[in-house]
Amino acid sequence: MTPFLAALLVTHVIGGVIAIGIHNVALMHLLKKAPNYVFISRIAWAAAALYLLSWATSAYYYVTYYGTAVKPRILAGTLPAGHIFFMETKEHIFLVLPFLAISIALCASYLRTTPDDALRKSTAFLTLIALGVGAATAAAGIIVSGSV
Amino acid sequence: MLVYELLVIMHIIGTVLGVGAATFAEIHYTRFNTDDIITDDEKKTLSITYTVMRTGLFLLVISGFGLLLYMRLTEYTDLLLSQTFWAKMTVVGILVGNALLLQARIMPLAVGAAVSLTSWYTALVLGSLRDTNASYFEILIYYAGAVVIVGGVLRLIRAHFHGPKNI
Repeated sequence: MTPFLAALLVTHVIGGVIAIGIHNVALMHLLKKAPNYVFISRIAWAAAALYLLSWATSAYYYVTYYGTAVKPRILAGTLPAGHIFFMETKEHIFLVLPFLAISIALCASYLRTTPDDALRKSTAFLTLIALGVGAATAAAGIIVSGSV
Repeated sequence: MLVYELLVIMHIIGTVLGVGAATFAEIHYTRFNTDDIITDDEKKTLSITYTVMRTGLFLLVISGFGLLLYMRLTEYTDLLLSQTFWAKMTVVGILVGNALLLQARIMPLAVGAAVSLTSWYTALVLGSLRDTNASYFEILIYYAGAVVIVGGVLRLIRAHFHGPKNI
């Protein structure tokens, strides 16, 4: 693996993990009765940007390296499910995450100007879903790496 | 090797902050709640303790994923499928979920405190042992048992300090 591809992989993982952490913080604040929507919307947009960065770097890594150098090793190894199930699931579910993150950021931005308790609860629920999907994606990534 | 050492140091600092803050959160809460009134100053002390705990968790998770990346890049991937490692990941997940449930006031404080304290110490022990002969489910059964025991001990300590009716 070239240093450039290694840097992409590092950006993909760290960007994604920080985005998951940000959604955790956003959810903790959204569960308050009177949250600071300015803070929530700022961090929600940061999470969306990080997911897009993580998405773009992983896409380049996948197309230029994973498919030709990593995937055949996993399929020939002791745990082919690492690609067949976990990577196939991860790469499709991960497509949803940036859109979930953008939706959360849009809701948080709207709440800044128009506080609405029902929307706060719905946004908290959406953030919980994003957190769950993010954590599952991260776990699948570890299994894929362990299958190499 | 420098990157690896830095990540290990960051991981240890995160664990120390988290375990220490979780311990002192319990000590402070028990001490402050003896008169059933938590003053503004006591709230501030508790708030700082929780901030230190969250900082520890952040350092732990970021350095943990850094170490996983290091293992992936150096092709040392055996640990990534270890049952002890996955038990530790599950415990850290429970720790985060517990914090969310406490924030949403769904989790009773007494249960949440026992889960938090036990989870931090379990993560510390599993991280120190690195790998064990125990299976994933065996470790989680031991963990569940430890949560019950810690919950009982915390209850006794609180009862000792301010009477069982106020717990």
